Amino acid sequence: MKSETTERILLWAGALAMAVFCLTPFLYMFAVSLSARPDQIGAGGFTPANYATVLGTPSLHFLDYLRNSLIVSALSAIITVLIASLAAYAITRLEMKGKAVVLFFVLAVSMFPQVSLIGYLFKLMSDLGLINTYAALVAPYVAWILPLSLWILVSYFDQIPRELDRAAIVDGCSPAQVLYKVILPVALPGVLSTALLSFIFAFNEFIFALILTTDYSARTIPVGIAMFQGLHGEIPWGNIMAASAITTAPIMLLTAVFQRHIIQGLTRGAVKG
Amino acid sequence: MAGRGEVVTGGREAYFFIAPLLLFVFAFIVFPIAGTFFSSFFSDVTFMGKKFIFLSNYTHAFSDPGFRQAFGFTLTFIAVAVPLELFIGTAFAVILDQELPLRGLWRACVLIPWAIPSAVSARIWQLIYNYGYGLANFIAVHSGLADGPVNWTGTASGSFIALLAADVWKTAPFVALIVLAGLQAVPSDLKAQARVDRATSFQVFRLVTLPLLKPVLTVALLFRTIDTLRIFDVIYVLTGGGPGGSTTSVSLYAYNYFAGGDFGYGSAVSMLLFMVSFGLSWLYVRLAGFGEAA
Repeated sequence: MKSETTERILLWAGALAMAVFCLTPFLYMFAVSLSARPDQIGAGGFTPANYATVLGTPSLHFLDYLRNSLIVSALSAIITVLIASLAAYAITRLEMKGKAVVLFFVLAVSMFPQVSLIGYLFKLMSDLGLINTYAALVAPYVAWILPLSLWILVSYFDQIPRELDRAAIVDGCSPAQVLYKVILPVALPGVLSTALLSFIFAFNEFIFALILTTDYSARTIPVGIAMFQGLHGEIPWGNIMAASAITTAPIMLLTAVFQRHIIQGLTRGAVKG
Repeated sequence: MAGRGEVVTGGREAYFFIAPLLLFVFAFIVFPIAGTFFSSFFSDVTFMGKKFIFLSNYTHAFSDPGFRQAFGFTLTFIAVAVPLELFIGTAFAVILDQELPLRGLWRACVLIPWAIPSAVSARIWQLIYNYGYGLANFIAVHSGLADGPVNWTGTASGSFIALLAADVWKTAPFVALIVLAGLQAVPSDLKAQARVDRATSFQVFRLVTLPLLKPVLTVALLFRTIDTLRIFDVIYVLTGGGPGGSTTSVSLYAYNYFAGGDFGYGSAVSMLLFMVSFGLSWLYVRLAGFGEAA
């Protein structure tokens, strides 16, 4: 009995330490973003001034970066899920040689260091006149996120009973119809969590965006925040933290609401069962 | 998983369904790698023309002190960071596996550092390590751990520790999720039996759970090693590779050459990184495919 109480106390202490470790940087970010000066947190009360500056100063381009990120990530996520659904359907349902080869080939590909692609991609996009456009980012993002999406979707599609397909085929459906009339609706939660993960991966991508964009017309938020310069030369920490807060708050909310789906998707992609 | 119970037999539909995936992966990953490999045999600096020099970029790399430093830093960082990530990640997983009220909320806490762009969280860490008023020095000085403020990003050892904390903070959650999935697969009657045999919780963990987690931990170890090998974002933002190149990773070293217009040498350095990474990925795929082959 006594050791059980001790264990309970240890568990709670561990859980609290874990939460402090994970959340302190964010609490600090919010505190600095709401203070007039980064060296005096909360001195003279909290103020939304940094948020007003970041949102209301067009020359900082924060809203441009945010818009670019949202468009690029959404396009990448949608295209990735479409393409990965087709492939996952073929792998789980159709007769084809070399399925395992495809699966493990894309798994290996997803582990390549991104830096070994950027020289070629930079030249390719320059030759195509696409540097600093959404297309220059979306195309490599889709390729980069496809392996993970494929693995997650294969594990979801694989759980759908084959009897459903057979019934649809007996009713005269073609493979494409089976996919969008039967598989996709049944696997909808899996498809949505794949889309959400793909969005997060595209939203967080850094090195492609760093080398393939040159200014606010296509630059995404991670690069924008990494390069954020003040209006007057010094590092404007309050503004940077406000920009970071505006960027991270929606992701934190999404993560909290969809944590079960995200965890399920991630663990299926990594240690598939 | 894949392979059993094909529904449609015959026909060539499958190849049409899989073609877009292969098209993207080849056009934007496989060809770029091949292109980089090709470039690595040339002297190719912007405005200076292209010249075939065969292996000279590679022989240069082996005697280049900058490359050796970057390679050494990357390996040292892996050796320190990955075990720490595994340890902290496993501890988190054990906590998350317990019966706590508001389970989802604790899980979300752990998930959030993973979900935020590294470039953004690296900026928060940069402020935390600010010499004059950052949180790290505030804690260090007020708790009496340090006599005065620590120059985190101005010294090689300070920068290393700063990067270590920022990286472990970001990646331990991922390990936690993988290990958690592994923990949930451990049969609970096995643990209950050990309990009946009067084992303490720690003994149950060490003698029953940990051995069963070995495959999951191996996958996590390899995955984290491969991922840390290509570390870039957090270093680029937090230390810029400094001071004096002491925290420059191989990825950052290659990037600096690309950004400076030297595509030949940048390609050779990134191909060397690719080759190490490819070897490890092959090992990972072999291990991940273990259950598949059965």
